[in-house]
Amino acid sequence: MNTPEIAMQRYHDSLTGIQPSLTGAELPWLAGKRRSALEDLTRLGLPQRRQESWRYTSIDKLLGYELMPVTEAMASLQESDIRHLWLPDLQTHRILFVNGRFVPQLSDLSGLPAGITVGSLRDLIRCNPIMPARWLGHASGASRHAFGAMNSAAIHDGLVIDLPRNQRLERPVEVLQISMGRDDAILYQPRNLVVLEAGSEATLIERHVCLGNSHYFHNGMSEILVQEGARLEHLRIQEESPAASFLHGIFARQAADSRYEYSGFSLGGAWARTELNLDLQGEGAHARLDGLYTTGSNQLTDYHLNIRHTVPGCRSDTRFKGLLHGRGRAVFDGSIVVEKEAQKTEAHLNNANLLLSRRAEVDTKPQLEIHADDVRCSHGATVGQLEPIQLFYLRSRGIDALDAQRMLCMGFAGEILEQCRIRPVSDIVGRAIENELNALAPEVAGASSD
Amino acid sequence: MLNIENLHASVDNKPILNGIDLQIRAGEVHAIMGPNGSGKSTLAHVLAGREGYTVTDGQVLFEGEDLLGLETEERAHRGVFLAMQYPVELPGVNNAAFLKASLNSVRTARGEAALDAPAFLKLARDRIALVGMQDRFLKRNVNAGFSGGEKKRNEILQMALLEPKLAILDETDSGLDIDALRIVADGVNALRNPGRAIIIVTHYQRLLDYIQPDRVHVLANGRIACSGDGTLAQELEEKGYGWLNEESAA
Amino acid sequence: MSASSEILDRFVNGEYEHGFVTDIESDTLPPGLNDSVVRTISARKQEPEWMLDWRLRAYHHWLGMSQPDWAHLRQPQIDFDSISYYSAPKRKKDGPKSLDEVDPQILDTYEKLGIPLEEQKALAGVAVDAVFDSVSVATTFRRQLTEAGVIFCSMSEAIREYPDLIQQYLGSVVPHTDNFFASLNSAVFSDGTFVYIPAGVRCPMELSTYFRINEARTGQFERTLIVAAPGSQVSYLEGCTAPMRDENQLHAAVVELIAMEDASIKYSTVQNWYPGDARGRGGIYNFVTKRGDCRGDRSHISWTQVETGSAITWKYPSCILRGNDSVGEFHSVAVTRGQQQADTGTKMIHMGRNTRSTIVSKGISAGEAQNTYRGLVRMTPGAENARNHTRCDSLLIGDRCGAHTFPYMESRNPTARIEHEATTSRIGEDQLFYCRQRGLSEEDAVSLLVNGFCKEVFNELPMEFAVEAQKLLNVTLEGAVG
Repeated sequence: MNTPEIAMQRYHDSLTGIQPSLTGAELPWLAGKRRSALEDLTRLGLPQRRQESWRYTSIDKLLGYELMPVTEAMASLQESDIRHLWLPDLQTHRILFVNGRFVPQLSDLSGLPAGITVGSLRDLIRCNPIMPARWLGHASGASRHAFGAMNSAAIHDGLVIDLPRNQRLERPVEVLQISMGRDDAILYQPRNLVVLEAGSEATLIERHVCLGNSHYFHNGMSEILVQEGARLEHLRIQEESPAASFLHGIFARQAADSRYEYSGFSLGGAWARTELNLDLQGEGAHARLDGLYTTGSNQLTDYHLNIRHTVPGCRSDTRFKGLLHGRGRAVFDGSIVVEKEAQKTEAHLNNANLLLSRRAEVDTKPQLEIHADDVRCSHGATVGQLEPIQLFYLRSRGIDALDAQRMLCMGFAGEILEQCRIRPVSDIVGRAIENELNALAPEVAGASSD
Repeated sequence: MLNIENLHASVDNKPILNGIDLQIRAGEVHAIMGPNGSGKSTLAHVLAGREGYTVTDGQVLFEGEDLLGLETEERAHRGVFLAMQYPVELPGVNNAAFLKASLNSVRTARGEAALDAPAFLKLARDRIALVGMQDRFLKRNVNAGFSGGEKKRNEILQMALLEPKLAILDETDSGLDIDALRIVADGVNALRNPGRAIIIVTHYQRLLDYIQPDRVHVLANGRIACSGDGTLAQELEEKGYGWLNEESAA
Repeated sequence: MSASSEILDRFVNGEYEHGFVTDIESDTLPPGLNDSVVRTISARKQEPEWMLDWRLRAYHHWLGMSQPDWAHLRQPQIDFDSISYYSAPKRKKDGPKSLDEVDPQILDTYEKLGIPLEEQKALAGVAVDAVFDSVSVATTFRRQLTEAGVIFCSMSEAIREYPDLIQQYLGSVVPHTDNFFASLNSAVFSDGTFVYIPAGVRCPMELSTYFRINEARTGQFERTLIVAAPGSQVSYLEGCTAPMRDENQLHAAVVELIAMEDASIKYSTVQNWYPGDARGRGGIYNFVTKRGDCRGDRSHISWTQVETGSAITWKYPSCILRGNDSVGEFHSVAVTRGQQQADTGTKMIHMGRNTRSTIVSKGISAGEAQNTYRGLVRMTPGAENARNHTRCDSLLIGDRCGAHTFPYMESRNPTARIEHEATTSRIGEDQLFYCRQRGLSEEDAVSLLVNGFCKEVFNELPMEFAVEAQKLLNVTLEGAVG
């Protein structure tokens, strides 16, 4: 086991080492960003449990790995290897990343309307860096913890979407992020940048999958700007390897009258943390955030939401649900901040957790911090197991205990899945959860019959 | 008693009332009818002094006094009562305590002595019988968890207690079944007297089957489109409101 | 809305009712804290050796601690050397034996506070232990309680008279190492109340303590210990006031409750310490550790608090639900205005089977005040079929105040169930209009609605206290409304 100091030094040294070889190292604005992020890393230090946002999430396990930062795909894939991973029955613009690196030959961006950019950050930095120079770091602001700083210190490749004014992208953009571990644990750090100019509209579907079962650390960041009157529907399916460490920070900023609809499904990873930072900065902006997580065996799933209302008349509706089994652990931290000026805010958040095993653990912490008076805000949280009376009802109708449990769990998950308007996505997630439930040992049924 | 002249009012800068003229004498019952969005409820709220309703022109005299210059509670003290379409729930506020506070504030403003608890209870029980309710009604919280019919009866009970000079019943019939409607109507009829004026705001004619109005006014586009006696309501029931638009278009 | 801003002004500028100073001679230690101050306190109270040792252990532990720095609390660093740790009214040689011997000025003070100290006036059946600055002044209803076997006396007396009980229970719920202010209290506590209800006894009357800080530059560090033996029942009331002074004064109390099998303790507080003036000068720092231990099966501890005073309040009356089928409750109304800050809530630690807890918190924030609910519900692996229900509502009056809700829920047992709901809003305009349409002034309407908002909690208070709490709230709001 490494001490945090040793791990810190190692991260610092390896990032310093690769900085000169990164794309755009010769661009002063980019090199400067990377250098100052490295300084942030030293200044911030690694997260510790005594920090409020890491209270329930230990990084000890992560520090145990000797991680090698990579900027190449490190693997070659055939079309046949990934064909089954694209969403069925859906016309999309397809873009593939392997270990964080864009793979053009297996992507299909042929049908894109003129003037719309969907592609690789690295390509854009090389050919036309105006847009990244303008927007990188804009939504994320200064690094909030060491992992954010690490990502910014090695900005290299990732997804870029730039949708001009009033453009409506008919087909969804489908992003496949494939992780392929190697014998030595790798660290890759994708950086995504999505800008929807005023009045534009798009649907973005991201899917994170793994080929193989090895350990790697995905330390990603996404910056999303939804400008005036624009609308983004954002779906994410996280099915990382059961051995993986995964941390992804999403920073979304909404301008006036914009809409941001997020549906996130976290299924994989040994240690998986998603941070969703949402800033409602223009009057009349609305956000809907839905999430579903399952966690079993020795998994830790952590969701940190930070929803900030800074101007009047915005609305946010947040609902996250979790299914926990085996030795699964879940951490949920959902904070709503309403600043002084943000009168007429309506903000609601709910977190529900279903414990299916004796050894599952959950720590949930919704928070309201309200500085304006003319608001309607609420939050709620529940933790418990399936209602015995519901189980009994199904069993009295002849359904066996395990099936009854599965049905009720699917009903629990269904409330989130139904919100997802892209059917192939909810189908995939629904099936994955069903498979997960099918694999459960009958232990769970016993938990309720104490 | 009530004299409305050229009343214009808007909500969120949108004009709703566009010049209402109306005179009501003591002892009269007027019905104000009209399609949705014609301004019926706005008129009721403007008279009661609800915030958010801006009077842009015209005047309202109540017993010779400028009503629009008074605060909401001052209008109540003068004897203006609004029975609301959606009576507000006051969680944790005891019905009896509320009624007593309300009654005593009105009595004090009139120069009468405040009632003590026993005197109030006696009066309240007396009036409760009038609206066909039970005493336990007093123990509950104001409108919280009440059914639609109970809320409306609670409004009539308040009216019976406060004995207003001008009672405005805003869609009191909406959402009531026939039995509840009859109870409410009986309550109102019992409160009819030569010193009191009543305005009944309603979309349908059915409440007027039980309460005979002296005058009926039809509101359309923020103006009184036509007025008549009780038979006008019957006519509306048969013809609906569609002809109003035709007429105003013509 | 001009009427509302007027409400706000009156609310903010309302005067503190209990801000008089009683002019009596007192015996006050010079400011500062060291070994010899701890020894002096112990010596003045004629304490046995073991008590002094305990105090010194706490003091030495405290020296190694630092003042906590809580999120969301604006708080100046306290200079612990500027505080006097002991102040007692000067008294005749052996202290008062009966009420006749108590300084009439003190009695007059309690009179002003409306406390039924004189037995003749106390027909309401409340037995009172009054703590004036640091010393217990008089305990009423001695005889009736003695007959029932109930011990109700000052902590100093208990240490002398019931050393076995004190040694067994003191610090067994809040150890002397618990937290910064609890350690400080353990070192320097000057007095407080001890209650022991013997097995099977239902305490024949409600017990009550009034605390008052009178002397300038003093801290008050009282210690309360209530032990309910198996099958016993007690209801205990606590009230607090302080004079208006420009400097801040520290109140760092510790309250320990122990409920054995089938025992029940109901602890009610109306806290109205001086909150400081409109600009935030002066006022009490109220940093209190209150914890109840449901040690026996089917035991029951219920905390009810109405917090309207203090410049800063920091307290989390908690329950450790150790016994199977034990029940913990927390009902709270916290009102802040002006520059006040309240950070209050509870911890419910479920350890036994079928344990139940209920949390109802009502926060009202006005002026530039900050009101925070902070709570923890923990289901340990042994908390089979445990249940928690939490409801937190916040009401904002004016646009310069803040209301915050920070609940923590930790579950390690799948059969346990936690339910939490919270809302934040202001008084509905439709509700205000409705009341005003029925003739109520805006002030009366606000007061009526706020009382309604708090009713669930007031219902938990014993009758006399509920009336007092309601009056207190109305006084607070009266100042507020146009």
